[in-house]
Amino acid sequence: MDRTRIIFLSIIGVTAVAVLGIFLFRPRPQPVVGLIGSEKQPFFQDERVQAALRRNGLDVRVQKAGSREIATAFNLREYDFAFPAGVPAAQKIQQQYGISTSYDPFFTPMALMSWRPIAELLVQQGIATNEGGYYLVDMVKLLPLLQNGTRWSELPGNTVFPVNQSILIRSTDVRKSNSAAMYLGLMSYVANGSNIVQTLNDARLLMPFLSGIFLRQGMQASSSQEPFEDYLVKGMGHSPIVMIYEAQYIAQAALGDATLLPDMVRMYPSPTIFTKHVLIPFSEAGHKLGQALENDPELQKLAIEYGLRNSNLAEFRRFTAEHNVRLPETIVNVVEPPSYEVLEGMIQMIEQLYQQQGGQP
Amino acid sequence: MSLKRLLAVLFFTLVYVSAPGCALLRQAEIMTVLAGSEIKDIEPLLAQIEKETGVRLELTYIGTLDGAEALLDGADYDLAWFSHGKYLTLLQGGRGLVVTEEKIMLSPVIMGVKESKARAFGWVNNPNVTWQDIAEKASVGELRYAMTNPAASNSGFTALIGVATALTGSSDAINAGDVNVPALQAFFKGQALTAGSSGWLAESYVAAQDTLDAQINYESVLLSLNESGMLREKLVLIYPKEGIITADYPLMLLNGGKRQAYDRLVTYLRSPAFQQEMMRTTLRRPVVPGIALDGRIPNPLLVEIPFPNSASVIDSLLFSYLDEQRVPAYAIFVLDVSGSMRGRGIADLKAAMNSMTGLDESLSGRFARFRGREVITLIAFSNRIEETKVFRIDDVAAQGPTMAEVRSFVNSLQAGGGTAIYTALVEAYRLAEEAQRQEPDRYYSIVLMSDGANTDGISQRDFERYYASLPETVKGIRTFTVLFGDADEATMRRIAELTGGRMFDGTKESLSQIFKQIRGYQ
Repeated sequence: MDRTRIIFLSIIGVTAVAVLGIFLFRPRPQPVVGLIGSEKQPFFQDERVQAALRRNGLDVRVQKAGSREIATAFNLREYDFAFPAGVPAAQKIQQQYGISTSYDPFFTPMALMSWRPIAELLVQQGIATNEGGYYLVDMVKLLPLLQNGTRWSELPGNTVFPVNQSILIRSTDVRKSNSAAMYLGLMSYVANGSNIVQTLNDARLLMPFLSGIFLRQGMQASSSQEPFEDYLVKGMGHSPIVMIYEAQYIAQAALGDATLLPDMVRMYPSPTIFTKHVLIPFSEAGHKLGQALENDPELQKLAIEYGLRNSNLAEFRRFTAEHNVRLPETIVNVVEPPSYEVLEGMIQMIEQLYQQQGGQP
Repeated sequence: MSLKRLLAVLFFTLVYVSAPGCALLRQAEIMTVLAGSEIKDIEPLLAQIEKETGVRLELTYIGTLDGAEALLDGADYDLAWFSHGKYLTLLQGGRGLVVTEEKIMLSPVIMGVKESKARAFGWVNNPNVTWQDIAEKASVGELRYAMTNPAASNSGFTALIGVATALTGSSDAINAGDVNVPALQAFFKGQALTAGSSGWLAESYVAAQDTLDAQINYESVLLSLNESGMLREKLVLIYPKEGIITADYPLMLLNGGKRQAYDRLVTYLRSPAFQQEMMRTTLRRPVVPGIALDGRIPNPLLVEIPFPNSASVIDSLLFSYLDEQRVPAYAIFVLDVSGSMRGRGIADLKAAMNSMTGLDESLSGRFARFRGREVITLIAFSNRIEETKVFRIDDVAAQGPTMAEVRSFVNSLQAGGGTAIYTALVEAYRLAEEAQRQEPDRYYSIVLMSDGANTDGISQRDFERYYASLPETVKGIRTFTVLFGDADEATMRRIAELTGGRMFDGTKESLSQIFKQIRGYQ
């Protein structure tokens, strides 16, 4: 073998080893696996979010479940983190696993989606007000309609939606999902004469009504993405009014596609209630993720693109204005959910009623 | 080492290292699917699905309750795919059989009414037609419709829940105590054709379209029928005002180990590309937002009826349908006890018949058993009619006198002699004709089980001549044939075709399984 050939081969060999070495031993982001409420799935699936997380050394993989289901139906020790929506679900997990740390990188108020004819009908009934770009629904005035099982066709002067269905707000399954738990928290306040329910005894008195707003809906979705998607796909007959997170609407509006029809309107219940998204870490990597979501400006900004609110209010305002989402200047009428014990107690009472009906455990 | 070798090694090392991310070099991953037959029309899209996801779906078809039962019994499939998963979700309770599920497409269960009828009723372009209106027309014999058996097929199952909820007059989720039996009896008076599968129902509707006025089925099936050119009269789609239930075809992951493949699958199935193609070829509605509805799919206000949140409510609805609401059945079983049945054959037959007397306590067995109000006629034949006995099922207790009597008859059967298929069949039609004269308000059907060729009695030609001479109402009685042992397939197929029935193959599944399926058609 001549000399040039040997040199040539050596160069090739060394290069190959180097290439392979770089390929095999390049620094890889740490895999982090977690269970999340379904509403945050699009956020985590976003390539830009994944890239920002990788820059923080995190390769995040998520599975979705109902927020309350996360606390009840999984062995979370097999995961790096749980990221349910809502303080109650988070508290349930924290209690169950004895974990005191948590991160709450973003929050969102509960909102309602409806249809212009229905919203205007509610205005006519003196229940809602048109605020230009959104509506406010006076939950105290809506309450008797829910309590009495009033049907849409029974509303005086209703020619736009004369169906026989009861007036109900479509929600998720309160046994599994946070948005339904928030709805329960909200309605318990309204039904309790605008007072936070303080004791399980008080809760018990309200149960005939509170259980009805869920049981009468029949089978419900276990996770909040589904009712909003149903609303978008199945129309007014399927979902006259549906309880959502404000963030879901903003994220959809920001897509700028033709999905949101002109007749689709957003309403804020008054009072409304906030949902915090709480990350509970089960490993070092989980901690790292919580910190990154709270502190990384890029991730904070991306969260806003999914409609979530956080400390960067200026960016939130800029982003929503850019996408023509009209928002209340401030959401004044906000109630706190009942204490964890009371809310959990109410959910368990409803759970028992489901079981008495022979429903699924 | 030569340069070539080195480069080759380098190349293959790189390929090996990067292969997991590279779909082209990967072999298709096979995923087994337990599916409802209503999914069958997806088959033409399977190749495309495999190309896009690297997942090859292998579908096994099964009925609603049988499917739910198989899964609860731990049948080993990666996926389940039915028109809806709600019943299974309720049945599985906390057992967590379904790892996760994702809706793939939509189709409401509605009624299609012949144009002339719809016009006469004033139902064309009329958004105010109710299930109540339909019940009224059905109860006076003005509307004869086809609908599958709710205990056997998802379209009938979904329709029953919707109709039963609508006819309570309330609009909330139905509870067991709410069932309005008289209203439902009126409604089901019009059910002139039942079936164990929606596909067979649609086919049989085409064959019997001159004797029927309407059909309850998936919107997609009705639209496809209208496009098929096989209908002499188009079906006007009715979306009753009280509401309908929409099937949402969830793809359910059962094998958690195949999560990654499942995720790829779902991502593709819910992509606009697939959703559009699926809508174009099957006329189902897209399930993801932002896809415009195909112009061929009507766009009325679809009011959704709440689906009950309880397996026991659903069970009691199904039992009520079978025991109180539906037109009671008059079922004739023509059973071959010729010499060739000796041994295993007759034992299988006895087991199958006995299991229908309430001894089979499985989920499907509970629904497939002989039910209250039914008349069951058993004709045992060899080279002649051996024995005929009529049982009126007024006491359904498995250990009660009626069922004991059925069992003692069945257990006394003995194999021997030749096979006079057509003679026995003529006897069945003769009995049916006589019974029909006395009790016209029953649903008549015949099951013919045989394990051999016709060796004795009248010939095929004689039978066909006899059948042709029958009055229309008797001719409308279908014969469901069951192949067993060395049965003559051509004969059995011909009889099923001639009478509008269906042939079942008892050589591959147990007779008990086959009889359970046939119960869906009675």
